[in-house]
Amino acid sequence: MNALAKLVTTSKTYGTGEHAVPALVDATLDILPGEVTLIEGPSGSGKTTLISILGLLLRPTTGEVWVEGRDVAHLTERELPGLRARNFGFVFQGFNLFPALTALENVAIAIEMKDPRAKDPRRQARELLELVDLGPRAHHLPADLSGGQKQRVAIARALGGNPPILVGDEPTAALDTKTALSVMELLRELASSHGRAVVVVTHDPRLERFADRVVRVEDGRIQSIGEGARA
Amino acid sequence: MWTLARKLLLHDRLRFAAAIAGVSVSVTLVLVQVGLYFGFMDTASSIIDASSADLWVGKAGNESFEFASPFDERAYYKVASVPGVARAERVVMNFAQLKLGNGGDLGVQVVGVEEVPGVSPLLAPWHVIAGNADRLREAGAIVVDRSEYPKIKIDHVGYTTEIAGVRAEVVAMTQGIRSFTTSPIVFTDLRSARSYMPGLGSDAVTYVLVKVAPGVSPLDVKARINAIPHLAAYTTAEMSKRTRMYWSSRTGVGAGFFTTAVLGVIVGFVVVGQILYSSTIQYLREFGTLKAMGARNSAVVQVIVAQALISAVLGFVVGGGIAALMRPAMVKVNLTVALFPALYAATLAVTIAMCSFAALLSIVKVLRLDPASVFKG
Repeated sequence: MNALAKLVTTSKTYGTGEHAVPALVDATLDILPGEVTLIEGPSGSGKTTLISILGLLLRPTTGEVWVEGRDVAHLTERELPGLRARNFGFVFQGFNLFPALTALENVAIAIEMKDPRAKDPRRQARELLELVDLGPRAHHLPADLSGGQKQRVAIARALGGNPPILVGDEPTAALDTKTALSVMELLRELASSHGRAVVVVTHDPRLERFADRVVRVEDGRIQSIGEGARA
Repeated sequence: MWTLARKLLLHDRLRFAAAIAGVSVSVTLVLVQVGLYFGFMDTASSIIDASSADLWVGKAGNESFEFASPFDERAYYKVASVPGVARAERVVMNFAQLKLGNGGDLGVQVVGVEEVPGVSPLLAPWHVIAGNADRLREAGAIVVDRSEYPKIKIDHVGYTTEIAGVRAEVVAMTQGIRSFTTSPIVFTDLRSARSYMPGLGSDAVTYVLVKVAPGVSPLDVKARINAIPHLAAYTTAEMSKRTRMYWSSRTGVGAGFFTTAVLGVIVGFVVVGQILYSSTIQYLREFGTLKAMGARNSAVVQVIVAQALISAVLGFVVGGGIAALMRPAMVKVNLTVALFPALYAATLAVTIAMCSFAALLSIVKVLRLDPASVFKG
């Protein structure tokens, strides 16, 4: 199976000389379609650095980052937004929804901003909200939605433009157990049925039941890549 | 973009109201101050602008329209005989003391115009709203503006008083003719004017108004008149501009009004800049999220610029409305706020520029926003 994205001996060091702090060391990881990959590890272990580099938000100091079949580790700042828009959707712990916009508008504006030439962003947004079972709440403001519903809106927003890879940064951390599990079920479904790759950073071991692979990061190194409960 | 910009602004209505208030105050200040300036300037040159003369001829070296030195009538005849002059009319102008009803005196600006029966004069009182201005050729007949009635302490056409001890009867009333010097303008005919200002001499002339013959260039005639020693001729437009510039520069009125207008722009700039910046900071994570997902800087910047433009246009509408409403109120206290389409257009341009510059700090903030920062908690 061809990887949608991969890291090849990728390292990131902050600072230079005696102040140099290695945040990620020689990370190699394939992101495969249809798979849910959990990134686990203690705080400060390098998880965020790993997904930031994977999501093309951060440049590695050394190593390769492959997306769309080419090494994009050293592309210019002008080239990266388009690449991210085509390939990545992001979901965050804090949802990061515009409080002034309805669920529909939050999704539509993201579609429009990713691709100003997108056809009928509102129609696309409505379809995505229906996909995450939030069609009836499309015209509600985030303040009128539960935490789980907000995260579903965020997932719908991340799916705008149909990117093949979803990256979640602790997407269930702010949710109660039941809601967290339903959000993970949704992400699992998006991977299984739609062939997307889902990469989730988490501290929560209960989520392993949804994962195909669990990547353990400690001290900036990938310590292990094990099979998740789903594998 | 516009939807997002509008909703972000309206989401915090108090902050939005403060932004609009800031822009409105700025727009009102600019319009009223610049409008007052142009109003004063219109007042300063109103007599010149109301004339139908092609050229104004005065004594060479005169700087002020109102405080011009007179010359004797021989110069008038020289001007009248210049080739290309179709008509020449004398105007005598200076200040005199008008006797008030309470026994006091008030300095007035006497404008004596040449009234020739059957000929429409090159300068005459305009905007006559009561009485009969044709009676001006009668000895001792004067025309006064309604706005000056309280100052002169008269209340009707037909009122009789004295100027420099000589009888003066109000035969007509005008509306909107005011002097920049604040001394009421009193129109009368040439002979009466000379009797009110005996110190000038019985053949004094302050200006000669010239109408050039059809097909003759006023500039050619002007050049011929300027060849006459001790005289200076100006086209009516030049004379008007000279007078405006004189009062604008000598009194500092221009600098005063424009300084206040600039302060208004600065106030608007600071208010809008601060409010846009605080709004940008509030939504920084959301903007970062959009950038992380591939939104280009230009798309995010468009949202901020759209917010600035919405603030500018709404603030302009409110501020422009307030200025328009203030105008009639200021007329009641004898202040003319000259509001005209070009001034509105220029103020709108200044407002848009002001709000756009005010948005620069916010724009820099989102341009420097690292999309990876959304992962940093």
